[in-house]
Amino acid sequence: MASFIVLTEEQQRLQREAPPEAVLRCLTSELGCLTRQDGSASLSQGDTTVTAVAYGPAEVRMARERIDRATVEVVYKPKVGLPRPVDRKKENIIRNTLESAIMGSAHPRSAISVIIQETEDLGSNLACCINAACLALLDAAVGLNFMVAAVASAVMEDGKIVTDPEKKVEEKAVAVMTFVFESVDHKLVSVLTYGKFTQEQYKVCRDLCRQTAQSVFAFYRESLEKKLLKTV
Amino acid sequence: MADKRVGNVFMPGDVLEDLQVSESVKKIVLGPGLIDDGNRIKISKPGILRFREPGIYWIDCHQKRYVPSKGDSVIGIITQKAGDIFRVDIGGSEQASLSYLSFEGATKRNRPDVKVGDIVYAKLLVANKDMEPEVVCIDSYGRSSGMGVIRNGGFLFNASLNLVRKLLSPQCALVKSLGHRFQFELAVGLNGRVWAKSKSDIQTIAMANGIMASEFMDNNQIKAMCKRLSRAVSGMEVE
Amino acid sequence: MAEEIRLAQPKEYYRAFLEKEVRPDDRELGEFRPTVLNIGCVSTAEGSSLVKLGNTTVMCGIKAEVAEPRYGRPTEGYIVPNVELSPLSSPNFRPGPPPEQAQVLSQNMVDFLDTSQCIKLDSLCISSGKLVWVLYIDLVCLDYDGNVMDACTLALMAALKNTSLPVVTVDEDTGDVKTHLSTHSSLSVDSCPVSTTFIVFDNTVLLVDPTREEELLATGAVTVVTEGDNLCSVYKPGGSPLTDEQVEMCVERAFVRGKEATALITDTLCSIDR
Repeated sequence: MASFIVLTEEQQRLQREAPPEAVLRCLTSELGCLTRQDGSASLSQGDTTVTAVAYGPAEVRMARERIDRATVEVVYKPKVGLPRPVDRKKENIIRNTLESAIMGSAHPRSAISVIIQETEDLGSNLACCINAACLALLDAAVGLNFMVAAVASAVMEDGKIVTDPEKKVEEKAVAVMTFVFESVDHKLVSVLTYGKFTQEQYKVCRDLCRQTAQSVFAFYRESLEKKLLKTV
Repeated sequence: MADKRVGNVFMPGDVLEDLQVSESVKKIVLGPGLIDDGNRIKISKPGILRFREPGIYWIDCHQKRYVPSKGDSVIGIITQKAGDIFRVDIGGSEQASLSYLSFEGATKRNRPDVKVGDIVYAKLLVANKDMEPEVVCIDSYGRSSGMGVIRNGGFLFNASLNLVRKLLSPQCALVKSLGHRFQFELAVGLNGRVWAKSKSDIQTIAMANGIMASEFMDNNQIKAMCKRLSRAVSGMEVE
Repeated sequence: MAEEIRLAQPKEYYRAFLEKEVRPDDRELGEFRPTVLNIGCVSTAEGSSLVKLGNTTVMCGIKAEVAEPRYGRPTEGYIVPNVELSPLSSPNFRPGPPPEQAQVLSQNMVDFLDTSQCIKLDSLCISSGKLVWVLYIDLVCLDYDGNVMDACTLALMAALKNTSLPVVTVDEDTGDVKTHLSTHSSLSVDSCPVSTTFIVFDNTVLLVDPTREEELLATGAVTVVTEGDNLCSVYKPGGSPLTDEQVEMCVERAFVRGKEATALITDTLCSIDR
C-alpha cells in the first residue's frame, strides 16, 4: 500500500527556498571484480553503472611511444552500437584528465591503458566514468600525482541546482556541468558544460561540486582500505 | 623506532610530514610509493605504510603488474632468438635481453641449449626506466647458483606481486605446510610468476590452486587449507 | 643561435620570452593574432566563409539539402558539421580515416551549436513530419598553425549568417515539392557565440590563441564560449589543474574577444551588402 507524506504550505516554501546541498547518490564499488586485468573497478552512482579496467605500465606500439613519459590510452565503449564522435570526445576528455593525474615520467616508453564500459547510463555518465577510471587505476596501483573526482551538477529552469543529477533531471535541466577536481590542492582539472548559464550559476555549481568531490575522495579511501586491510 | 602512522592506509596525493626516525640513524630510505618532493614526502600509490629497521619506509600496495627492478630474481619466457641475444618476456613493459654468454659454462664455441619457448630463472642485471632491462643466468662469480633454464615439465602460473612476496617471506607457513604433505619443486619469480612441479599432474594442479587460494589467508587458515588439500588429492589419486 | 635553442630546447626558449611577458611572435600573453574574415567566397555553397587567424586558415562551406526529419523529431531540421584536418594542412596528419582530433573538433562544433542554440532547429522545418532542411557544414583546415577551434567557430558563425535558403513549398494534397530557386531567405541566426581558446604553459602561464608550436608545449587547454554578455560554455579537457582565479581570468578575456569577433563578423557582412 502506498504511503503519503503531507507537506504544509510553509514546508513546501522552505523546501523550494532551501540552499542547494552537496549530495551524491549512493556510491557502491567493487574493486578487482575482473581477474585477468592489472586493475578493475565497477562503480555505481545511484543507478548509473560503469565498469573500468586498467593495464599498465605495459608494452606500447612504436608509433605511440613517447620517450619521456608513458602513453595514456583510453577506450570508451557505449552500451549499444559502435563508438561515435560523441564517444571520441568523452575518450579525449577522460584521457587528458587521467594524463595529468598519472605519474607518466616514471614509466617512459610504456603504455597505461584504461578501458571503460558503459553498463547503465541513468545520469551523470561522464562523471561516473572518470571516477570508475580513477578507481581502476588505484586498484592497479599505478603511480599517481593525485586522485581525481568528477561531479556533475544540473541547473534547473527555476534556478535550482542539483548535484549528481539523475537522467530525468538532466533531460529537464537548462544546463549540465561536469567538474573534475584533484585531491591535493582541490584545483580544477577538467570542466565540461552543456546549455546556457550565468557566471554566478557557474560559480555556485563549481563550489558545490568541489564540496561534493570530497565525499568521492573519502569513498575512494574507504574502498581501498577495505581491499588492502583484508590482506594479512 | 617506527613512525606511528605505520600500518595506516595512504592514498596518492597524501603528504607525510615529519617522518620519524630513530636518533642513531641519519638517513631515511624511501621505498616504492614514496616520492621526495622538496621538503615533503608525497605518496604516489595506494597502500599500507610499512617500516623496517634501520630507517626504511615504503608503501605496501596490491599490484599485479611487474615493474623491473635491479637485482630481482625473475622467471622469464624466451620469445625470440636474435643473433647473440635472447629476448625474454618478464612481464614488464619491455622485453628483457639475455646474452647467450650469461649461462654457466657458456663460451663462443659452447653455446647453451636454449630454445624459444623455454622458461628461465634469471636475475635482473640492468633495470631502470630509461633503459631496456637485461637479465643474466649467472652470478658475479660465473656460477649459475640455481639459475638457468627450467626443464622437465611442471606448471607455470601467474600470481600477484603480493602473493609471491608472501611465499618468499620466512613468516609464511605455506611452503612449509605444503612441504609436509607433498613432494615438489617450486621456483618463485618476483615478477609474479610461479613454477611448480610435483610427482603427478593432479598434485601439481592442487598445489597451484593451494598457492593461489592462500593470498588472503593467515597462517592458521593456510595450515587448515593444506590439510584439506592433501586429503582431497589422496582421494583423487588413482594408483 | 636563437633558432638552434628554439629547436633544441623549446621550453627554455619560451620561458626566456615569457619572463618579459611577451611571446616569440611579439604578441602579449592575452593578444590574438590578426584575424582576417572573408564571407561568401564559395559561390556554389549556400553559405561560406574563410577565416585566417594568423597563419591558421579554415574554410567553411554550408550545403543545404532536403530530407525526411529524424525519428521522434518531426518539426526539426538537423545540422551536420564536419571538421576536416587533412594532410594538406600539416605534416602531422596522415592520409586515411579522420584523426581523433578532427572527430573531437566535429563533436565540439555540434555541442557549440547545440549549447548556444543560435539556430532554432524548428526554423529548418519545411513540412512537419515530411520534409526538413539538413545543413551539411564542412570546415576544412587549409593551414594548421594552432587554435583551429576558434578559427572553426568563427568561420562557422560567419558562414551561417551568410547562408540563404531557397523557399521550398510542399503541396499538402499532392505531396509535390516545389523549389523556388529565385527566392532566397536568410537563415535566422539569433545570436553570435564566439569561442576563445587558451593553453597552459608550465602549469602556470595562460596564453591565448596558441600557435602550433605553443600547442605542442602546452600542459593543458581551456576553451570558453561566450555570447554577448552570457557565458555559453567552459571546456577544459584535463591538463594542468587551474585555480578558480585563473579560470575567471580566461572568462573575462573571452568576453572581450567575443565582442571583437562579433563586431568583425557584423562589419564584414555589412561590407558585402554594400
